[in-house]
Amino acid sequence: MGNINSKGIDQNTFDAIVIGSGISGGWAAKELCEKGLKTLVLERGRDVKHLVDYPTMAKDPWDFPHRNHLTLKMKEENPIASKCYAFREDAMHFFVKDKEHPYVQEKPFDWIRGYQVGGKSLIWARQTQRWSKYDFEGPARDGFAVDWPIRYEDIAPWYSHVEKFVGISGNKDGLDTLPDGEFLPPWEMNIVEKAVQKQIMQNYPDRKVIIGRCAHLTQPKEIHLQQERGKCQARNLCQRGCPFGGYFSSNSSTLPWAAKTGNLTLRPDSVVHSIIYDEKKEKATGVRVIDAQTKNVTEYFAKIIFVNAAALNTNLILLNSISSRFPNGLGNDHGLLGKYVAFQNYRGTLSAKIDGFLDSYYYGRRPCAVMMPNFRNVHKQETDFLRGYMVFFSAYRSRGNITGPEQMGEAFKEAKSEAGSWQISMMMQGETIPKETNQVSLSKDQKDQWGIPLLSISVDYDDNDEKSLKDFLTQGAEMLDKSGCKEITTNDSKQAPGLDIHEVGGVRMGKDPKTSLLNKWNQLHACPNVFITDGACMTSTGTQNPSITFMALTARAATYAVNELKKGNL
Amino acid sequence: MAILIGGAMVSTETFFSSCKSDAKEAFFTKEDISLLDEIGETIIPATASSPGAKAAKIGEFIKIYVTDCYSPADQQTFFEAISHVKNSSQKKYGKGFLKLTIAQRQDVLTELEKGKPATVTNNTKPLAGSGDAIQTGKSDEAKNKLKDTPNRYFSMLKELTLLGYFTSEPGATKALRYVETPGYYKGNVPYVKGDKAWAT
Repeated sequence: MGNINSKGIDQNTFDAIVIGSGISGGWAAKELCEKGLKTLVLERGRDVKHLVDYPTMAKDPWDFPHRNHLTLKMKEENPIASKCYAFREDAMHFFVKDKEHPYVQEKPFDWIRGYQVGGKSLIWARQTQRWSKYDFEGPARDGFAVDWPIRYEDIAPWYSHVEKFVGISGNKDGLDTLPDGEFLPPWEMNIVEKAVQKQIMQNYPDRKVIIGRCAHLTQPKEIHLQQERGKCQARNLCQRGCPFGGYFSSNSSTLPWAAKTGNLTLRPDSVVHSIIYDEKKEKATGVRVIDAQTKNVTEYFAKIIFVNAAALNTNLILLNSISSRFPNGLGNDHGLLGKYVAFQNYRGTLSAKIDGFLDSYYYGRRPCAVMMPNFRNVHKQETDFLRGYMVFFSAYRSRGNITGPEQMGEAFKEAKSEAGSWQISMMMQGETIPKETNQVSLSKDQKDQWGIPLLSISVDYDDNDEKSLKDFLTQGAEMLDKSGCKEITTNDSKQAPGLDIHEVGGVRMGKDPKTSLLNKWNQLHACPNVFITDGACMTSTGTQNPSITFMALTARAATYAVNELKKGNL
Repeated sequence: MAILIGGAMVSTETFFSSCKSDAKEAFFTKEDISLLDEIGETIIPATASSPGAKAAKIGEFIKIYVTDCYSPADQQTFFEAISHVKNSSQKKYGKGFLKLTIAQRQDVLTELEKGKPATVTNNTKPLAGSGDAIQTGKSDEAKNKLKDTPNRYFSMLKELTLLGYFTSEPGATKALRYVETPGYYKGNVPYVKGDKAWAT
């Protein structure tokens, strides 16, 4: 260990510390700063300032030497990160370099990380859906994991709270499987999507096909203009960072807002080693930080600590926070920390063709797809697998796929320059069952360049996932067939867990401290001034894209934390 | 095999004695870039409304792409393809490809193209904003098909030309419609046969 800064404890003392500046950390910072708390946000990666640090945002396809394709070198140097669909020339600088951040795969797991201010909120897919009552009731009804300590009613006002600030586009569909939110105008479906929607809803009355819901400003409101964000321009280049602030990120939204209060201190290049636990005071008192560049160690102190390092990183920090009170990691009284990690099943996809509709095209690049809320086992257990899956699909015209016999020359060029026939792509987002055997732990012998043990990941699919996948492919094919599609192909990508980038759990919420780590307010049962509101807190996975739920839980927990602080309870 | 026309089949060992990328870049002489420009122009010529592959500097693009993005196996196929074009020009017309007429060039490439059609193109476009791009898992399957069909040489040259041309500035902005900042999305606009497709 390097020098410990024992002088200037005052200047290292804050009201609150937030570990991580990503999609949930940014929200913790915003809420805490707005409520008057001097807040230190620790980000392990480099700074990325909105607009200033988006080097590729205005580039054209020909500006990229490889036209945004992967090179062999990129794949060699980043074997994990390069598997991510968004890892291309235009955004790879927002992903970690695999060599710098090794981890142990006890079983195959593609861990996708973005270590910079803003984290993965720069490169996320921006799709957002509320959980329904059915999702919160899932574990109790179906007998897996543990009962959530909250229900939809507890989080509904907080979904509203974050949605208004973030700016969520969507249509009020009136479905209890996917509650409506505070919506800006929805995106349109194209003509083929509408045709397929009509067919599916006619053929399957209990299945709904709706336009996607996403964190894009289709019509900025006053609150967004105050954030200096503008209307989404339908460029669909979001992973580069947006010149218009059209989509939500910490960088464009919550962090500048927090900074405006004058209460924010943002410290990039701050690798958190552990949370400091004071045995006498019986609370966490601060955080040990290793400077990413100099490797110097500094301690920072605060009354409350929010851990928003991203699901698996949060597990790592807690596991590495050892004391005599907590020899197995902070809050880990019953050996649960790091266990019941889960993810979402992305293995199944379909493609299909559909004739006709050649006199219609679309204009602009829509940043969302069409979706079908889960229709499996909604009201009761009905299939040979538990839970279900969200379906996403979109229709598009392949360029230049209607050609004559010529394979070169003028006529060939003309044909290649035209819009071709329509195709449909369909994918699943399946709920998986958290299990004790899916877990992360600290490597006993390997450490990273900061002397922190490597994370060892042991996560796998199970029989339920295989059955869910099979059902999706069967149902998907049937629905497309009945909608007049042809040449329907199904595919199992056989990808390892992780590429969904929706890994959650390890520090689950629950009613009973013997079977969970967090209470209904996201406080560690055993150390209530530490709050975990990123993916690590999730007791089950649901079928929804999780980030909006992380944001809502964070705003709710931060508000609670400040109230408790004011009452003198923390 | 009909494609192996006489003349010296350039040995692959010449190119693969070292696997360093600078060795392969060195293979791309100025003459080779010119050849690739003309092959590209034969496939995608200049027309009344837009420039062709040569104006899009297709030779330079192919050099970079093959060097940096192709696997060693695909690079080998590519160099074989170029050899075939060179040899075929000489064998059939007694001249280099650059000296042939357009009709003769098309003939050389058509001969290269003869054989079973190769279904190599992965037509699936990433699912817009759904959460993840769709991986059809077909690319491995497609690559194997590419290896086994006799006209893989032409398919490869064609695919390189199409990729390089339609993502180039002249290609994207003149042969297609490139809208950097659409401003909004409309799900249904009229389309008439002959209208250009969107570039991105």
